[in-house]
Amino acid sequence: MAPIQFRLPDVGEGIDAADIVEWQVAEGDHVQEDQELVEIQTDKAIVVIPCPATGVVTKLCVPAGERLPVGEVLALIEPDASNGGQPAFAAAPVEDDPEEAEMPSVEPAGLRATLPAAEPSPTATRRPLAAPATRRLARELGVDLTVLSGTGPQGRILAEDVRAAVAAQAPAAVPPDSLGRATPPRAGEVVPLRGVRRAIAHTLTRAWQEIPHVTDYREVDATRLLETRRLLKQRALDRGDETLALALTPTPLIAKAAARALADHPYVNASIDLQREEITLHSEIHIGIATAAAEGLTVPVVHDADRKSIAEIALEVAELARAARERRLRPEQLARGTFTVNNYGGLGIWLGTPIIRPPEVANLGVGAIRDRVVPVGGEPAVRPILALAVSGDHRVLDGHTLAAFVTQVVGLLEEPLLLLEDLR
Amino acid sequence: MVVGELAESVDLLILGGGPGGYVAAIRAAQLGRQVTLVDRAGRDGLGGVCLQVGCIPSKALIELAGAVHRTREMHAMGLSADGVSVSLERFQVWRAELCLDLARGVEQLLEAGNVSIVHGSARFNKPDRVAVRTPQDRALFFEFGQAIVATGSRSIELPGLPFDGERVLDSTGALALQEVPESVAIVGAGYIGLELGTALAKLGAHVTVVEALDTVLPTVDASLTAPVLRRLKALGVDVRLRTTAERLEGGELVVRDANGEVRVRADRVIVAVGRVPNTNDLGLAAAGIPVGPDGLIPVGGDMRASHRIAAVGDVVAGPALAHKAGAEGVVAAEALSGRPSAFEPAAIPAVIFTDPEIATVGLSEDEAREAGMDVRVGSFPLSASGRAGTLGERDGFTRLIADAATDRVVGVHIVGPHASELAASGTLAIEMMASPYDLAGTIHPHPTLSEGLHEAAELLLGHPIHVRAPTLTSKGSLHGHD
Repeated sequence: MAPIQFRLPDVGEGIDAADIVEWQVAEGDHVQEDQELVEIQTDKAIVVIPCPATGVVTKLCVPAGERLPVGEVLALIEPDASNGGQPAFAAAPVEDDPEEAEMPSVEPAGLRATLPAAEPSPTATRRPLAAPATRRLARELGVDLTVLSGTGPQGRILAEDVRAAVAAQAPAAVPPDSLGRATPPRAGEVVPLRGVRRAIAHTLTRAWQEIPHVTDYREVDATRLLETRRLLKQRALDRGDETLALALTPTPLIAKAAARALADHPYVNASIDLQREEITLHSEIHIGIATAAAEGLTVPVVHDADRKSIAEIALEVAELARAARERRLRPEQLARGTFTVNNYGGLGIWLGTPIIRPPEVANLGVGAIRDRVVPVGGEPAVRPILALAVSGDHRVLDGHTLAAFVTQVVGLLEEPLLLLEDLR
Repeated sequence: MVVGELAESVDLLILGGGPGGYVAAIRAAQLGRQVTLVDRAGRDGLGGVCLQVGCIPSKALIELAGAVHRTREMHAMGLSADGVSVSLERFQVWRAELCLDLARGVEQLLEAGNVSIVHGSARFNKPDRVAVRTPQDRALFFEFGQAIVATGSRSIELPGLPFDGERVLDSTGALALQEVPESVAIVGAGYIGLELGTALAKLGAHVTVVEALDTVLPTVDASLTAPVLRRLKALGVDVRLRTTAERLEGGELVVRDANGEVRVRADRVIVAVGRVPNTNDLGLAAAGIPVGPDGLIPVGGDMRASHRIAAVGDVVAGPALAHKAGAEGVVAAEALSGRPSAFEPAAIPAVIFTDPEIATVGLSEDEAREAGMDVRVGSFPLSASGRAGTLGERDGFTRLIADAATDRVVGVHIVGPHASELAASGTLAIEMMASPYDLAGTIHPHPTLSEGLHEAAELLLGHPIHVRAPTLTSKGSLHGHD
């Protein structure tokens, strides 16, 4: 059976090549369909490409660290025969005779040297203190028990210790920097522009050079927003849904408000192609959520945000952020965004100027919510104030088109009850 | 030999249908492999030495001899069974049926996994090719994706006493005896020799055991063999240590000890001086597999000898025991099927069906000390066991060895009736790193011999119930007084 030529798939819009970060399999490995095959770094993020078929990896065509254009062969995979067994061996002409089977030795040179030493007879000494099931788990997860310290009585290694070791082996231990390196750069060093950083550099250069930005700055009274969030959070806690409670930051509420307003303002949920001289008004609302990852800014997408509940958006945003941190975003989770929400308030920023991600035409920036003294009914009052900054592509959006959109978003944030308007 | 015959392509080829090979075949089939198993005895060889001419028939013979013996011994309990007689001829028919039945069971398991069974002797002639000579002297060729060598071992022959199937027998011949010989000389006081010697003595033979070393059961701690030696003496077995067997002369075996040549009455001579791996006639060099001077195949923790060939059982290092071969077979099948697997038991139990039985698991007291452990020992005598009393067998003990530093059981040693059945719970304790408190805190059913483990743990902890308060011996061990 001919091996499958597995080519680097198009993992995202406008990506023409990717850096091979790390192979998850070796040549000769038997792999299962959908098993993780290789970690690649595109211009948008680090993603893991799954294996297209079950079989044996006969060749890895690109070493880690190299850049490969989309469509080029990544690996050769010999798929399993349909009976699930080994591929049939070619029948060779036979001259064998058992009488003559005492053949000259064909023992390969160096075989003895490479053979693993016979295991010493098992004893109960100097071995990891782990029960058989734990040892099996460790083998399956690739954890070396001899370097593990157990948390059980007198240092016994428990299954939890093995799982904890796996978690610790994840990138969290020493996160690579934005250039994919595990060690921090030193001053005086010249750092090559690679991977996500290169992508960010090129995209922003294009965005800043091509797009005439116009930014609409607003102050939003976040009293009702925070109240709504508190209510929703309390409700989640009352139902014992701690995950949802934690996920209910202001971001999902803001994304929901933006999705609602985008439905009414198609020119904000659009993209422009100057070559073809056309503006595409998207029928679907896919909101990218700018997320800080070790490699640099990455923007996973909540698809069809207008058709999702606040809780659904909250859980999805939390999961996308986790996936981004753990470098396991799938290509489709980065693709097809039509609008971006960038909450930089957590960084302490009060007011920022969002830069639009082409081919999108708008980017909503969310600053920190701070208590401010504001006039209420002619009297000074202390209110939580949120600074919104929405940048629009001035080629597509006039000041008033953008302002109309932003005004609606502000209205929804100041009175989240209006989101109920969607209810049918 | 048909020249030009094409080799049949097979996925996983297993050489040998014994407890290593057939277990590997079943696990491999479970993992979706197409398995072809070659055995020199074909379907009749399934189960290997263990099932056909080893563990199973010997335990059957020991059971018979034990029943005869106990019937006599229970006179004190009020049993009169005069005129008890034994027909080894009838026993052999029954035994053959049992072995056949068990082998059919293995066959059915293999068939359920679609394992092809090939009858013939296999030999590698290329790294991926085996020639099989069938009983009809035809040659079959197999080109394999992967292979497992599980060809087992055979009895060692002594130069002065070649096996002749009549007077000089190996263990296989001894287990096939059609009548109890009047006198038997057993050469070798390892476990096979002592098991056979004990059984034949109980069946009425005059037994002499000849051993070149100065101890019986050389791999076992002397304190464990003492009750066995006492019983052998009571059975009238003549154990001659530091004595070598020389030759047969007339109806007698000529042996040599410190005083020179001595003649021993011996209608039959059973030679059980050890076993040698069946690796010399497999063409392993052609497969690129090295074989050590001891005939053993070096393998890694995943039982692989090379990328595509694994070896298990008596052909690799470690004790030549069926349960060890089976465990290795599972590992080999898994490793060759791409599963993470390794043979890494904390302990391999060993059981000896002497009278009384011996079971040893894990470290001996000396081994634990040599390993630098903070050793604690608890030894519970059978004389304090109610159940042992009802059996009329009160010679023996259960000994627990623990490391205080890691608070875990590292050795379990039992001499007594049914010790073999108690070995598994000791092995489980070691594998699970049980604290002696775990054993002491586990309720053991009364009245059973298993209580010995519980009491030994209590003793080790210094607060036994069924023996008097322990005293500290010179070695720091706790021994109960009944």
